[in-house]
Amino acid sequence: MTRVYQVPHQAFGWLVGGTLLASLPHLWSGPVWLQLSLPLLLGWRVLAHRGRLSLPGRNVRVLLLLGAVLGTFYSHGTILGPEAGTCLLVAAFGLKMLETFRFRDARVVVVLGYFVLATAFLFGQGPLLSLYVIAVMMMLTAALIGLHHPRGVGNAWRHLRLAAVMMFQALPLMVVLFVLVPRIEPLWSLQMDEPDARTGMSDSVSPGDIGRLSESDEVAFRVSFEQGVPEYRERYWRGLVLSRFDGRTWSRADNAAVDAIDYDWFPREPEPPWLHRLREARQGEEYSYQVILERTGRPWLFALSVPFTDGENRNIGMTRDMRLTHQGDVNQRLAYNVRSYPRAARAMDLDERERELNLRLPGDGNPQARERARALRAQAESDHAFAEAVLRWFNEEEFHYTLSPSRLGDEHIDEFLFSTRRGFCEHYASAYAFLMRAAGIPARLVGGYQGGEMNPLGNYMRIHQYDAHAWVEIWLEPAGWVRVDPTAAVAPERIEFGLERALDERGEGRGAAGVFSRWRENPVLRGLGDFTDYVQFAWQNWILAYDRRDQLALFEQWFGGTSPWRVAVALGIMLGIIVLPLALWILVRRPRYGPLQREYHRVVRWLARRGVRPRSGETPRALIGRAAVELPASAEPLRAWGSAFESVAYGADGGNEQAWRELRRAGRALRSPIPGRSRSRPGDGEQAHSADSER
Amino acid sequence: MQLLEQSLERVGRVVLGKEEQIRLAVACLLARGHLLIEDLPGIGKTTLAYTLARVFSLEYRRVQFTSDMLPTDILGVSVFDPEQKRFHLRKGPVFTQLLLADEINRATPKTQSALLEAMEERQVTLDGLTRDLPEPFFVVATQNPVTQTGTFALPESQLDRFLMRVSLGYPAPEVELDLLAGGGERSRTISVEPVMDAGDLLQVMARVEEVRASRELLDYVQRLLDYSRTCGRFAAGLSPRAGLGLLRAARAWALLAGRDYVIPEDVQAVAAPVCEHRLQAVSGAGARGAAEELLEAVAVVR
Repeated sequence: MTRVYQVPHQAFGWLVGGTLLASLPHLWSGPVWLQLSLPLLLGWRVLAHRGRLSLPGRNVRVLLLLGAVLGTFYSHGTILGPEAGTCLLVAAFGLKMLETFRFRDARVVVVLGYFVLATAFLFGQGPLLSLYVIAVMMMLTAALIGLHHPRGVGNAWRHLRLAAVMMFQALPLMVVLFVLVPRIEPLWSLQMDEPDARTGMSDSVSPGDIGRLSESDEVAFRVSFEQGVPEYRERYWRGLVLSRFDGRTWSRADNAAVDAIDYDWFPREPEPPWLHRLREARQGEEYSYQVILERTGRPWLFALSVPFTDGENRNIGMTRDMRLTHQGDVNQRLAYNVRSYPRAARAMDLDERERELNLRLPGDGNPQARERARALRAQAESDHAFAEAVLRWFNEEEFHYTLSPSRLGDEHIDEFLFSTRRGFCEHYASAYAFLMRAAGIPARLVGGYQGGEMNPLGNYMRIHQYDAHAWVEIWLEPAGWVRVDPTAAVAPERIEFGLERALDERGEGRGAAGVFSRWRENPVLRGLGDFTDYVQFAWQNWILAYDRRDQLALFEQWFGGTSPWRVAVALGIMLGIIVLPLALWILVRRPRYGPLQREYHRVVRWLARRGVRPRSGETPRALIGRAAVELPASAEPLRAWGSAFESVAYGADGGNEQAWRELRRAGRALRSPIPGRSRSRPGDGEQAHSADSER
Repeated sequence: MQLLEQSLERVGRVVLGKEEQIRLAVACLLARGHLLIEDLPGIGKTTLAYTLARVFSLEYRRVQFTSDMLPTDILGVSVFDPEQKRFHLRKGPVFTQLLLADEINRATPKTQSALLEAMEERQVTLDGLTRDLPEPFFVVATQNPVTQTGTFALPESQLDRFLMRVSLGYPAPEVELDLLAGGGERSRTISVEPVMDAGDLLQVMARVEEVRASRELLDYVQRLLDYSRTCGRFAAGLSPRAGLGLLRAARAWALLAGRDYVIPEDVQAVAAPVCEHRLQAVSGAGARGAAEELLEAVAVVR
């Protein structure tokens, strides 16, 4: 008769719960059939455990497996790759629960559970997910403990507690391994297919684009300053420079135009002259900071003007329009160090082709605007005065700053400037740049973020999507490219305090997103928000960003070098530091030996060195008797000691000084070498020495 | 001391080849405990009990337990005497020095518990009058293995009342040969002469109490008890009563060995008969005896 293995009851709950929770992160984003079938499979298993249903036979299991493979293929078009692979893995994991016929199977489920759990990190590495993984890991460990306990013994909660204790004990080891285990550059990289991987600024700005971004509360990037935090109104994070205008949309100059002016530079390339000049001009105000950019799916990076990188990341280059750029799209969170020198901008020259590019306007359209530009320029003494005059015009006339501008027709700029006069930052920037170009002043639109909110915890700045902004740079001799923000002329609060405040003063909100952002006004909720964001930030900064470079730097700092033996020694010492107190603690916790036990163990050790080891549960008398037979040379003193020990330990002489002395004397006599004593066993020539060395 | 040795030897002449069990039975008697003999019928349980009674000159009664037995069949009953016009107690078989309760697990639980109560209290309460049982009072109960039909297994709480449980087992071949050659055992039993009287026995029992158990030894016993409770292999650990019993049995064993102090060997010798019927191993635990496991796991000297 074959007995079907029954998963012990105290382990079963943890096993089913652990299976479900380990799969949960995958179910979340997984296909519907998986979401439905996994709970069903687990339900089946639970009923089988209760004896309501029987576990499926071989044929049914094969069919189910086939179904899982087909389902995966149906959902992902393949059964390879990370998404399809984990989908199949989770399905197979659920099926394995239906196959727990033996103890071994149940154990496989637990081990598989650990693996499935670990694959959750393929899709996210946040602090909450990590906590979750640890919690589920604890459950699976509790299941493992339960499995190894005989039936009917043990309490499931106690097993969970034990698992928690075990994981807590593993914590120091985890930290040491995290810090010290060599980081190997990945041997392969997984390409995740993410739907809608692109967020934030796109590479062109049309009216309404930035207004849409303002509805998003997502964090665009975080910045921690090492030196100097700019004023709010100076927080212009440049990302894109848009030089081409088609009457409606601002976009980047095409490749041909860009290539002609030796547009960008990456580390290890020879430095173009413009970069050399910029470097020479690094003086005055300086900001030093690290940007942690969220995934954008686009190549541009954000920084204050004029940014220089330390060149450590070879994929980050600089462009002639004084931006940082990334080789390839930023498909994962990216941290980069920047030093910005706002004054260096004046060192930049204006190439003829560049001037032409930044003056180009569509051949016709917007006649009113062109006319107004010419008129104002004629009144003004200089380009500079003209630029001021246009700003004044924006400020003095009835222009409105609003998230809900009126619809514009074909004559875009004209309609905005002369009839609707309601717009968001891109409307003003676009119109302003148009007017400048129309008056013969090179102008370009800059897209990026303006603002940023300091988190008092962790002392870093958060820049949200709703801080997205567009402004203008114009070329003025001799200053070079000068930043002009026409929005500041219309809604100075936007630049001083941010979008929220600017809209508030106009009795406007940011729609649905704005309602949720109201909590910022409550200090408690605000503190909570700051705190959770700080945890995120610290996690990224300290855990996820810890890479080979940091590790080597750490080794360098701690051990003065990165050579393997140094690291090995350090590893040994660190482990020693952890193990030693633990060992001491265990030793201290152990009941101290009394004098009697010390006498006994001294002799036991003496015997052990001679090959006579006490057996489990052996009494002193039996041990001595055996030893006397095995070591005939010492039989006499052994017996003497044995009887002395017995009379002290168990006999009537326990408190008798005389008996104690007798015992100690017998012990010494036993351990002292006796001339001419020889061992019965061959090959133990060192015996006399060891006996000597014991005194 | 010689008397004890002599009595052991006398019993050994009747119950052949069972020196170990005889010694245990005597130790149990000396430790004022009751003995449970578990074995198949016809192994010599009754003979052992009877011989013990003869050797120590104890008053001996035997009750064969059956399923229709009532408590009064053991304890006694008040009978109305028409001449003196009052009730008169007719004492049951329990009023004796050595009671052989044969096949105790054939009786119903009600009857069993009547006896077991008397064993524990060493007194019987009938019609509101409490009567002491004679001194010494020693019950030897025999029990068929529970797998046999028509038996009521003793519950754990009642098994705890027996200090020791021993089983005799089949005799060794040469011993059995002697047995077969020697004719009926009854004839040998009759011929056993007493070695001590009840007074001597009580004196020896008093000496058991005086056997020294050192701090070190008590520590060992305590650790044995502790292990049985914490190791997780037994449904329930040993009770404090079991611990006291273990110590008392070890003392008696030491006395039988002619020592006035207990050594760990004494504890180990009596551990199996004292502990095994009180420990129920949970399934999955090894097939080895519970006591064996206990002794192997606990270090004698800390």
